[in-house]
Amino acid sequence: MAEEKTRLWLMFPARLITRPIIWELAKKFEVVTNIRQASITDEVGLLSLSFQGERSEIKAAIAWLEEMGVKVEPVEINTIEG
Amino acid sequence: MENSFFSNLKCRECGKLYPKQAIHVCDFDFGPLEAVYDYEAIRGKLTRQLIESRPQSMWRYRELLPIDGEPTVGRQVGFTPLVKADRLAKALGIRELYIKNDTVNYPTLSFKDRVVSVALSRARELGFEVVACASTGNLANSVAANAASAGLKSYVLIPADLEQGKVLGSLVYGTQVVAIHGAYDQVNRLCSEIAGKYGWGFVNVNLRPYYAEGSKTMGFEIAEQLGWRLPQHTVIPMASGSLLTKIHKAYKEFIDLGLVEKTPFSVHGAQATGCSPISTSLKRGSDLVKPVAKPQTIAKSLAIGTPADGYYAIHSMNQTGGSADDCSDEEIIEGIRLLAEHEGIFAETAGGVTVGCAKKLIASGKIPADSSAVLCITGNGLKTQEALLNQCGAPRVINPSLREFEDQIYQPDLAAAF
Repeated sequence: MAEEKTRLWLMFPARLITRPIIWELAKKFEVVTNIRQASITDEVGLLSLSFQGERSEIKAAIAWLEEMGVKVEPVEINTIEG
Repeated sequence: MENSFFSNLKCRECGKLYPKQAIHVCDFDFGPLEAVYDYEAIRGKLTRQLIESRPQSMWRYRELLPIDGEPTVGRQVGFTPLVKADRLAKALGIRELYIKNDTVNYPTLSFKDRVVSVALSRARELGFEVVACASTGNLANSVAANAASAGLKSYVLIPADLEQGKVLGSLVYGTQVVAIHGAYDQVNRLCSEIAGKYGWGFVNVNLRPYYAEGSKTMGFEIAEQLGWRLPQHTVIPMASGSLLTKIHKAYKEFIDLGLVEKTPFSVHGAQATGCSPISTSLKRGSDLVKPVAKPQTIAKSLAIGTPADGYYAIHSMNQTGGSADDCSDEEIIEGIRLLAEHEGIFAETAGGVTVGCAKKLIASGKIPADSSAVLCITGNGLKTQEALLNQCGAPRVINPSLREFEDQIYQPDLAAAF
Protein backbone atom coordinates (compact mmCIF):
# COMPACT_ATOMS: atom_id res chain seq x y z
CA MET A 1 0.00 0.00 0.00
CA ALA A 2 1.25 3.49 -0.81
CA GLU A 3 2.51 5.75 1.92
CA GLU A 4 0.48 8.78 2.90
CA LYS A 5 1.33 12.01 4.61
CA THR A 6 -0.99 14.02 6.78
CA ARG A 7 -0.53 17.33 8.63
CA LEU A 8 -2.07 17.68 12.06
CA TRP A 9 -2.39 19.79 15.18
CA LEU A 10 -2.31 17.89 18.47
CA MET A 11 -3.71 19.45 21.63
CA PHE A 12 -2.60 17.89 24.90
CA PRO A 13 -4.54 18.36 28.13
CA ALA A 14 -2.55 19.42 31.22
CA ARG A 15 -2.32 15.87 32.61
CA LEU A 16 -0.47 14.62 29.50
CA ILE A 17 1.99 17.47 29.06
CA THR A 18 4.87 15.78 30.88
CA ARG A 19 4.34 12.38 29.25
CA PRO A 20 6.58 11.53 26.25
CA ILE A 21 3.64 10.77 23.99
CA ILE A 22 5.41 11.30 20.64
CA TRP A 23 8.21 8.91 21.70
CA GLU A 24 5.61 6.32 22.75
CA LEU A 25 3.82 6.78 19.43
CA ALA A 26 7.01 6.19 17.46
CA LYS A 27 7.61 2.95 19.39
CA LYS A 28 4.08 1.66 18.84
CA PHE A 29 3.38 2.63 15.22
CA GLU A 30 5.28 2.69 11.94
CA VAL A 31 4.70 6.40 11.51
CA VAL A 32 7.33 9.05 10.82
CA THR A 33 6.60 12.16 12.87
CA ASN A 34 8.01 15.55 11.87
CA ILE A 35 7.36 18.41 14.34
CA ARG A 36 7.01 21.95 12.92
CA GLN A 37 5.66 24.06 15.78
CA ALA A 38 5.10 23.59 19.50
CA SER A 39 3.73 25.71 22.30
CA ILE A 40 3.52 24.38 25.82
CA THR A 41 2.25 25.96 29.04
CA ASP A 42 1.29 24.32 32.30
CA GLU A 43 -2.31 24.17 31.07
CA VAL A 44 -2.20 23.02 27.47
CA GLY A 45 0.27 21.71 24.89
CA LEU A 46 -0.08 22.46 21.17
CA LEU A 47 1.95 20.67 18.56
CA SER A 48 1.85 20.85 14.78
CA LEU A 49 3.43 17.95 12.95
CA SER A 50 3.18 15.64 9.99
CA PHE A 51 2.60 11.89 10.06
CA GLN A 52 3.98 9.77 7.23
CA GLY A 53 3.26 6.08 6.82
CA GLU A 54 0.69 3.51 5.69
CA ARG A 55 -2.86 4.84 5.91
CA SER A 56 -3.87 2.12 8.37
CA GLU A 57 -0.89 2.92 10.64
CA ILE A 58 -1.68 6.65 10.60
CA LYS A 59 -5.33 5.95 11.43
CA ALA A 60 -4.33 3.62 14.27
CA ALA A 61 -1.90 6.19 15.66
CA ILE A 62 -4.60 8.88 15.61
CA ALA A 63 -7.08 6.55 17.32
CA TRP A 64 -4.47 5.78 20.02
CA LEU A 65 -3.83 9.48 20.60
CA GLU A 66 -7.54 10.19 20.91
CA GLU A 67 -8.00 7.30 23.31
CA MET A 68 -5.25 8.85 25.40
CA GLY A 69 -7.14 12.17 25.52
CA VAL A 70 -5.17 14.09 22.90
CA LYS A 71 -7.32 16.20 20.57
CA VAL A 72 -6.30 15.61 16.95
CA GLU A 73 -7.21 18.24 14.37
CA PRO A 74 -6.28 18.61 10.70
CA VAL A 75 -3.76 21.34 9.86
CA GLU A 76 -6.67 23.70 9.09
CA ILE A 77 -7.95 23.07 12.66
CA ASN A 78 -11.60 23.61 11.80
CA THR A 79 -12.84 22.82 8.32
CA ILE A 80 -16.55 22.78 9.21
CA GLU A 81 -18.07 26.24 9.45
CA GLY A 82 -21.45 27.67 10.33
CA MET B 1 -8.37 44.77 -16.11
CA GLU B 2 -5.42 43.05 -14.47
CA ASN B 3 -5.19 43.85 -10.75
CA SER B 4 -1.50 44.23 -10.10
CA PHE B 5 -1.95 45.09 -6.44
CA PHE B 6 -2.49 41.58 -5.04
CA SER B 7 1.07 40.35 -4.86
CA ASN B 8 1.53 37.18 -2.81
CA LEU B 9 0.41 34.84 -0.11
CA LYS B 10 2.39 35.14 3.10
CA CYS B 11 2.72 32.92 6.19
CA ARG B 12 1.25 34.66 9.24
CA GLU B 13 3.78 32.89 11.46
CA CYS B 14 7.17 33.15 9.71
CA GLY B 15 6.43 35.67 6.94
CA LYS B 16 7.59 33.39 4.12
CA LEU B 17 6.11 34.43 0.76
CA TYR B 18 4.24 32.04 -1.54
CA PRO B 19 2.80 32.33 -5.07
CA LYS B 20 -0.92 33.09 -5.48
CA GLN B 21 -2.09 29.49 -5.82
CA ALA B 22 -4.66 27.25 -4.11
CA ILE B 23 -2.52 26.70 -1.03
CA HIS B 24 -3.34 27.66 2.52
CA VAL B 25 -0.60 26.60 4.94
CA CYS B 26 3.11 27.27 5.09
CA ASP B 27 5.30 24.29 4.12
CA PHE B 28 7.74 25.21 6.85
CA ASP B 29 5.71 25.72 10.03
CA PHE B 30 2.14 24.89 8.91
CA GLY B 31 1.10 28.46 9.73
CA PRO B 32 -1.91 29.92 7.83
CA LEU B 33 -1.27 31.89 4.65
CA GLU B 34 -2.73 35.33 4.09
CA ALA B 35 -3.08 37.58 1.03
CA VAL B 36 -0.72 40.56 0.84
CA TYR B 37 -0.87 43.57 -1.46
CA ASP B 38 1.42 46.18 -2.90
CA TYR B 39 0.19 48.99 -0.68
CA GLU B 40 2.69 51.48 -2.14
CA ALA B 41 1.11 51.00 -5.56
CA ILE B 42 -2.43 51.26 -4.16
CA ARG B 43 -1.73 54.43 -2.13
CA GLY B 44 -2.88 57.49 -4.00
CA LYS B 45 -4.63 55.44 -6.69
CA LEU B 46 -7.47 54.18 -4.55
CA THR B 47 -9.26 57.33 -3.42
CA ARG B 48 -12.58 58.02 -1.71
CA GLN B 49 -13.86 59.56 -4.94
CA LEU B 50 -12.92 56.51 -7.01
CA ILE B 51 -14.62 54.16 -4.56
CA GLU B 52 -17.75 56.33 -4.39
CA SER B 53 -17.98 56.38 -8.18
CA ARG B 54 -18.34 52.60 -8.34
CA PRO B 55 -21.47 50.40 -8.02
CA GLN B 56 -22.69 49.80 -4.47
CA SER B 57 -21.31 46.33 -3.82
CA MET B 58 -18.38 44.89 -1.85
CA TRP B 59 -16.34 44.93 -5.07
CA ARG B 60 -15.92 48.72 -4.94
CA TYR B 61 -12.82 47.93 -2.82
CA ARG B 62 -11.47 45.43 -5.34
CA GLU B 63 -7.86 46.67 -5.17
CA LEU B 64 -7.86 45.27 -1.62
CA LEU B 65 -9.32 41.90 -2.58
CA PRO B 66 -7.23 38.90 -3.73
CA ILE B 67 -8.23 38.34 -7.32
CA ASP B 68 -6.29 39.14 -10.48
CA GLY B 69 -9.01 40.25 -12.88
CA GLU B 70 -12.60 41.44 -12.63
CA PRO B 71 -14.90 39.61 -10.19
CA THR B 72 -17.00 36.96 -11.89
CA VAL B 73 -19.02 35.56 -9.00
CA GLY B 74 -21.25 37.54 -6.63
CA ARG B 75 -20.89 40.90 -8.29
CA GLN B 76 -23.95 42.23 -6.42
CA VAL B 77 -22.86 41.08 -2.96
CA GLY B 78 -22.41 43.51 -0.08
CA PHE B 79 -22.95 47.19 0.62
CA THR B 80 -25.64 46.26 3.11
CA PRO B 81 -27.28 49.00 5.20
CA LEU B 82 -25.56 50.60 8.17
CA VAL B 83 -28.58 51.44 10.29
CA LYS B 84 -28.45 54.18 12.93
CA ALA B 85 -30.09 52.38 15.82
CA ASP B 86 -31.33 55.12 18.17
CA ARG B 87 -34.00 53.05 19.88
CA LEU B 88 -31.66 50.15 20.58
CA ALA B 89 -28.95 52.61 21.71
CA LYS B 90 -31.35 53.91 24.35
CA ALA B 91 -32.27 50.39 25.45
CA LEU B 92 -28.60 49.38 25.79
CA GLY B 93 -27.57 52.65 27.41
CA ILE B 94 -25.09 53.98 24.84
CA ARG B 95 -24.88 57.40 23.19
CA GLU B 96 -24.67 56.26 19.57
CA LEU B 97 -25.20 52.84 18.00
CA TYR B 98 -25.22 51.44 14.46
CA ILE B 99 -26.19 48.05 13.09
CA LYS B 100 -24.20 46.69 10.13
CA ASN B 101 -27.08 44.71 8.71
CA ASP B 102 -25.86 41.65 6.81
CA THR B 103 -29.21 39.94 7.45
CA VAL B 104 -30.06 41.34 4.01
CA ASN B 105 -26.83 40.46 2.25
CA TYR B 106 -27.39 39.15 -1.27
CA PRO B 107 -28.11 36.39 -2.26
CA THR B 108 -28.34 34.10 0.81
CA LEU B 109 -28.92 36.56 3.66
CA SER B 110 -25.66 36.21 5.56
CA PHE B 111 -22.17 37.72 5.54
CA LYS B 112 -20.87 34.43 4.07
CA ASP B 113 -21.81 35.70 0.61
CA ARG B 114 -18.90 38.14 0.96
CA VAL B 115 -16.29 35.44 1.54
CA VAL B 116 -17.78 33.01 -0.95
CA SER B 117 -17.90 35.52 -3.81
CA VAL B 118 -14.17 36.17 -3.39
CA ALA B 119 -13.35 32.45 -3.05
CA LEU B 120 -15.36 31.49 -6.14
CA SER B 121 -14.11 34.39 -8.26
CA ARG B 122 -10.58 33.25 -7.40
CA ALA B 123 -11.52 29.59 -7.96
CA ARG B 124 -12.47 30.47 -11.54
CA GLU B 125 -9.21 32.33 -12.08
CA LEU B 126 -7.32 29.27 -10.84
CA GLY B 127 -9.26 27.02 -13.22
CA PHE B 128 -11.38 25.01 -10.76
CA GLU B 129 -14.54 23.44 -12.13
CA VAL B 130 -15.74 21.95 -8.85
CA VAL B 131 -16.06 23.91 -5.61
CA ALA B 132 -16.91 22.64 -2.16
CA CYS B 133 -17.23 23.44 1.51
CA ALA B 134 -17.94 21.79 4.84
CA SER B 135 -20.62 23.65 6.72
CA THR B 136 -23.57 23.39 9.05
CA GLY B 137 -25.53 26.31 7.62
CA ASN B 138 -24.86 29.73 6.15
CA LEU B 139 -21.64 28.84 4.32
CA ALA B 140 -23.28 25.82 2.67
CA ASN B 141 -26.22 27.92 1.45
CA SER B 142 -23.89 30.57 0.07
CA VAL B 143 -21.56 28.17 -1.77
CA ALA B 144 -24.54 26.34 -3.26
CA ALA B 145 -26.26 29.53 -4.46
CA ASN B 146 -23.19 31.36 -5.77
CA ALA B 147 -21.84 28.23 -7.48
CA ALA B 148 -25.22 27.72 -9.15
CA SER B 149 -25.26 31.26 -10.49
CA ALA B 150 -21.69 30.89 -11.77
CA GLY B 151 -22.30 27.51 -13.40
CA LEU B 152 -19.80 25.75 -11.16
CA LYS B 153 -20.43 22.23 -9.87
CA SER B 154 -20.55 22.20 -6.07
CA TYR B 155 -20.35 19.76 -3.17
CA VAL B 156 -21.53 20.61 0.31
CA LEU B 157 -20.39 18.34 3.14
CA ILE B 158 -22.50 18.32 6.29
CA PRO B 159 -22.73 16.30 9.52
CA ALA B 160 -25.45 13.66 9.11
CA ASP B 161 -27.47 14.91 12.11
CA LEU B 162 -28.08 18.39 10.68
CA GLU B 163 -31.69 19.65 10.77
CA GLN B 164 -33.68 19.15 7.54
CA GLY B 165 -34.52 22.85 7.22
CA LYS B 166 -30.86 23.74 6.89
CA VAL B 167 -30.22 21.00 4.36
CA LEU B 168 -33.06 22.23 2.14
CA GLY B 169 -31.46 25.69 1.97
CA SER B 170 -28.58 24.09 0.06
CA LEU B 171 -30.38 21.32 -1.85
CA VAL B 172 -32.65 23.79 -3.60
CA TYR B 173 -29.70 25.17 -5.60
CA GLY B 174 -28.93 21.77 -7.10
CA THR B 175 -25.72 21.24 -5.17
CA GLN B 176 -24.45 17.77 -4.22
CA VAL B 177 -25.16 17.54 -0.48
CA VAL B 178 -23.14 14.81 1.26
CA ALA B 179 -24.13 14.00 4.85
CA ILE B 180 -21.37 12.32 6.85
CA HIS B 181 -21.99 10.11 9.88
CA GLY B 182 -19.59 10.36 12.78
CA ALA B 183 -18.22 12.50 15.56
CA TYR B 184 -17.28 16.09 14.75
CA ASP B 185 -13.52 15.37 14.89
CA GLN B 186 -13.73 12.51 12.40
CA VAL B 187 -15.92 14.49 10.01
CA ASN B 188 -13.56 17.46 10.33
CA ARG B 189 -10.50 15.37 9.41
CA LEU B 190 -12.30 13.67 6.53
CA CYS B 191 -13.19 17.07 5.06
CA SER B 192 -9.53 18.05 5.21
CA GLU B 193 -8.58 14.81 3.42
CA ILE B 194 -11.22 15.26 0.73
CA ALA B 195 -10.08 18.84 0.19
CA GLY B 196 -6.51 17.69 -0.31
CA LYS B 197 -7.25 14.75 -2.55
CA TYR B 198 -9.51 15.64 -5.47
CA GLY B 199 -8.29 18.94 -6.78
CA TRP B 200 -11.50 20.74 -5.85
CA GLY B 201 -11.65 24.37 -4.85
CA PHE B 202 -12.56 23.94 -1.22
CA VAL B 203 -13.58 27.45 -0.19
CA ASN B 204 -12.70 27.22 3.50
CA VAL B 205 -9.67 24.95 3.09
CA ASN B 206 -7.35 25.36 0.08
CA LEU B 207 -9.03 28.63 -0.98
CA ARG B 208 -9.11 29.97 2.58
CA PRO B 209 -6.56 32.81 2.08
CA TYR B 210 -8.84 34.23 -0.64
CA TYR B 211 -12.11 33.41 1.11
CA ALA B 212 -11.12 35.01 4.41
CA GLU B 213 -10.22 38.34 2.78
CA GLY B 214 -13.84 38.81 1.72
CA SER B 215 -14.70 39.55 5.36
CA LYS B 216 -12.69 42.77 5.19
CA THR B 217 -15.40 44.34 3.05
CA MET B 218 -17.70 44.48 6.07
CA GLY B 219 -15.11 46.73 7.76
CA PHE B 220 -14.53 48.83 4.64
CA GLU B 221 -18.25 49.45 4.26
CA ILE B 222 -18.69 50.41 7.93
CA ALA B 223 -15.94 53.04 7.61
CA GLU B 224 -17.29 54.43 4.35
CA GLN B 225 -20.92 54.46 5.51
CA LEU B 226 -19.92 56.32 8.69
CA GLY B 227 -18.68 59.11 6.42
CA TRP B 228 -15.10 57.87 6.01
CA ARG B 229 -14.29 57.43 9.68
CA LEU B 230 -13.69 54.50 11.99
CA PRO B 231 -16.16 53.58 14.72
CA GLN B 232 -14.84 53.85 18.27
CA HIS B 233 -16.12 50.35 19.05
CA THR B 234 -17.09 47.41 16.86
CA VAL B 235 -18.71 44.29 18.32
CA ILE B 236 -18.18 41.19 16.19
CA PRO B 237 -19.43 37.61 16.64
CA MET B 238 -16.67 34.99 16.81
CA ALA B 239 -16.80 31.43 15.50
CA SER B 240 -13.31 30.74 14.11
CA GLY B 241 -12.38 34.35 14.96
CA SER B 242 -11.60 35.13 11.31
CA LEU B 243 -14.22 37.89 10.83
CA LEU B 244 -12.86 39.87 13.79
CA THR B 245 -9.27 39.69 12.55
CA LYS B 246 -10.33 40.75 9.06
CA ILE B 247 -12.38 43.75 10.22
CA HIS B 248 -9.31 44.79 12.22
CA LYS B 249 -7.19 44.37 9.07
CA ALA B 250 -9.70 46.40 7.02
CA TYR B 251 -9.55 49.34 9.45
CA LYS B 252 -5.73 49.22 9.44
CA GLU B 253 -5.60 49.13 5.64
CA PHE B 254 -7.89 52.17 5.36
CA ILE B 255 -5.66 54.07 7.83
CA ASP B 256 -2.47 53.03 6.00
CA LEU B 257 -3.92 54.12 2.66
CA GLY B 258 -5.05 57.47 4.04
CA LEU B 259 -8.72 56.74 3.34
CA VAL B 260 -9.67 57.40 6.99
CA GLU B 261 -8.00 59.34 9.77
CA LYS B 262 -6.06 57.36 12.35
CA THR B 263 -8.48 57.60 15.27
CA PRO B 264 -8.60 55.16 18.22
CA PHE B 265 -10.79 52.12 17.63
CA SER B 266 -11.45 48.88 19.51
CA VAL B 267 -12.69 45.55 18.19
CA HIS B 268 -14.65 43.43 20.67
CA GLY B 269 -15.57 39.75 20.33
CA ALA B 270 -18.88 38.05 21.13
CA GLN B 271 -19.38 34.34 21.79
CA ALA B 272 -22.06 32.04 23.19
CA THR B 273 -21.39 30.79 26.72
CA GLY B 274 -21.83 27.19 25.54
CA CYS B 275 -18.90 27.61 23.14
CA SER B 276 -16.63 30.44 24.23
CA PRO B 277 -13.01 29.29 23.85
CA ILE B 278 -11.78 32.66 22.56
CA SER B 279 -13.55 34.98 25.03
CA THR B 280 -12.60 32.67 27.92
CA SER B 281 -8.90 32.80 26.97
CA LEU B 282 -8.98 36.57 26.54
CA LYS B 283 -10.60 37.04 29.94
CA ARG B 284 -7.91 34.83 31.49
CA GLY B 285 -5.22 36.98 29.94
CA SER B 286 -3.95 34.12 27.79
CA ASP B 287 -3.54 33.77 24.03
CA LEU B 288 -3.63 29.97 24.10
CA VAL B 289 -7.11 28.85 23.14
CA LYS B 290 -8.27 25.75 24.98
CA PRO B 291 -10.63 23.68 22.82
CA VAL B 292 -14.27 23.13 23.81
CA ALA B 293 -14.96 19.43 23.31
CA LYS B 294 -18.77 19.60 23.08
CA PRO B 295 -20.21 23.00 22.18
CA GLN B 296 -23.73 23.45 23.57
CA THR B 297 -25.51 26.54 22.35
CA ILE B 298 -28.45 27.53 20.21
CA ALA B 299 -26.00 29.75 18.25
CA LYS B 300 -24.93 26.85 16.06
CA SER B 301 -23.26 29.07 13.45
CA LEU B 302 -20.76 30.07 16.17
CA ALA B 303 -20.29 26.60 17.66
CA ILE B 304 -16.66 25.98 16.70
CA GLY B 305 -14.86 24.35 19.63
CA THR B 306 -11.38 24.66 18.12
CA PRO B 307 -11.27 28.08 16.45
CA ALA B 308 -8.51 28.31 13.85
CA ASP B 309 -8.08 32.08 14.17
CA GLY B 310 -8.66 32.29 17.92
CA TYR B 311 -5.04 33.19 18.66
CA TYR B 312 -5.05 35.97 16.07
CA ALA B 313 -8.44 37.27 17.22
CA ILE B 314 -7.11 37.59 20.79
CA HIS B 315 -4.16 39.59 19.49
CA SER B 316 -6.47 41.89 17.49
CA MET B 317 -8.58 42.57 20.58
CA ASN B 318 -5.53 43.15 22.77
CA GLN B 319 -3.85 45.43 20.22
CA THR B 320 -6.93 47.64 19.95
CA GLY B 321 -7.92 47.72 23.63
CA GLY B 322 -10.91 45.54 22.85
CA SER B 323 -12.59 42.99 25.09
CA ALA B 324 -14.78 39.91 24.76
CA ASP B 325 -17.79 38.48 26.48
CA ASP B 326 -20.19 35.59 26.13
CA CYS B 327 -23.90 35.14 26.70
CA SER B 328 -26.28 32.31 27.58
CA ASP B 329 -29.05 30.88 25.39
CA GLU B 330 -31.60 33.01 27.28
CA GLU B 331 -29.52 36.12 26.71
CA ILE B 332 -29.17 35.24 23.00
CA ILE B 333 -32.95 35.08 22.64
CA GLU B 334 -33.29 38.35 24.56
CA GLY B 335 -30.70 39.86 22.18
CA ILE B 336 -32.65 38.74 19.10
CA ARG B 337 -35.85 40.22 20.55
CA LEU B 338 -34.18 43.49 21.57
CA LEU B 339 -32.92 44.00 18.02
CA ALA B 340 -36.24 43.01 16.46
CA GLU B 341 -38.44 45.04 18.80
CA HIS B 342 -36.31 48.19 18.71
CA GLU B 343 -34.99 48.25 15.14
CA GLY B 344 -37.21 45.90 13.14
CA ILE B 345 -34.29 43.65 12.25
CA PHE B 346 -34.69 39.88 12.64
CA ALA B 347 -31.25 38.36 13.17
CA GLU B 348 -30.23 34.73 13.48
CA THR B 349 -28.89 33.44 16.79
CA ALA B 350 -25.38 34.82 16.12
CA GLY B 351 -26.96 38.29 15.99
CA GLY B 352 -28.51 37.62 19.39
CA VAL B 353 -25.03 36.79 20.67
CA THR B 354 -23.66 40.09 19.35
CA VAL B 355 -26.46 42.17 20.88
CA GLY B 356 -26.37 40.21 24.16
CA CYS B 357 -22.60 40.63 24.53
CA ALA B 358 -22.74 44.31 23.51
CA LYS B 359 -25.29 44.87 26.28
CA LYS B 360 -22.88 43.33 28.81
CA LEU B 361 -19.85 45.22 27.50
CA ILE B 362 -21.75 48.52 27.73
CA ALA B 363 -23.10 47.71 31.22
CA SER B 364 -19.61 46.88 32.47
CA GLY B 365 -18.14 50.07 31.00
CA LYS B 366 -15.79 48.21 28.64
CA ILE B 367 -17.69 50.06 25.93
CA PRO B 368 -18.26 53.45 27.59
CA ALA B 369 -21.85 54.77 27.67
CA ASP B 370 -20.80 58.09 26.09
CA SER B 371 -19.17 56.43 23.08
CA SER B 372 -20.25 55.20 19.64
CA ALA B 373 -20.42 51.55 18.57
CA VAL B 374 -21.23 49.37 15.57
CA LEU B 375 -22.73 45.89 16.00
CA CYS B 376 -22.01 43.42 13.20
CA ILE B 377 -25.16 41.41 12.55
CA THR B 378 -24.16 38.58 10.25
CA GLY B 379 -27.19 36.48 9.37
CA ASN B 380 -30.97 36.48 8.95
CA GLY B 381 -33.35 35.23 11.64
CA LEU B 382 -35.54 33.40 9.12
CA LYS B 383 -32.75 30.79 9.01
CA THR B 384 -32.87 29.90 12.71
CA GLN B 385 -36.54 30.27 13.55
CA GLU B 386 -36.54 27.05 15.59
CA ALA B 387 -34.50 28.85 18.28
CA LEU B 388 -37.46 31.14 18.93
CA LEU B 389 -40.23 28.53 19.03
CA ASN B 390 -42.53 29.35 21.99
CA GLN B 391 -40.34 32.33 22.92
CA CYS B 392 -42.36 35.17 21.38
CA GLY B 393 -45.87 34.40 22.62
CA ALA B 394 -48.71 33.26 20.36
CA PRO B 395 -51.42 34.99 18.32
CA ARG B 396 -54.69 35.66 20.17
CA VAL B 397 -57.47 33.75 18.40
CA ILE B 398 -60.99 35.11 18.02
CA ASN B 399 -64.05 34.38 15.90
CA PRO B 400 -64.94 36.73 13.01
CA SER B 401 -66.95 39.03 15.31
CA LEU B 402 -66.39 42.74 16.00
CA ARG B 403 -67.81 42.29 19.49
CA GLU B 404 -65.21 39.63 20.27
CA PHE B 405 -62.51 41.85 18.89
CA GLU B 406 -63.59 44.70 21.13
CA ASP B 407 -64.17 42.46 24.15
CA GLN B 408 -60.88 40.62 23.94
CA ILE B 409 -58.40 42.63 21.91
CA TYR B 410 -59.00 46.35 21.66
CA GLN B 411 -61.31 48.61 23.64
CA PRO B 412 -61.61 51.95 21.77
CA ASP B 413 -63.00 53.80 24.84
CA LEU B 414 -60.14 52.62 27.05
CA ALA B 415 -57.61 53.39 24.32
CA ALA B 416 -58.97 56.94 23.98
CA ALA B 417 -58.61 57.45 27.76
CA PHE B 418 -54.89 56.89 27.43
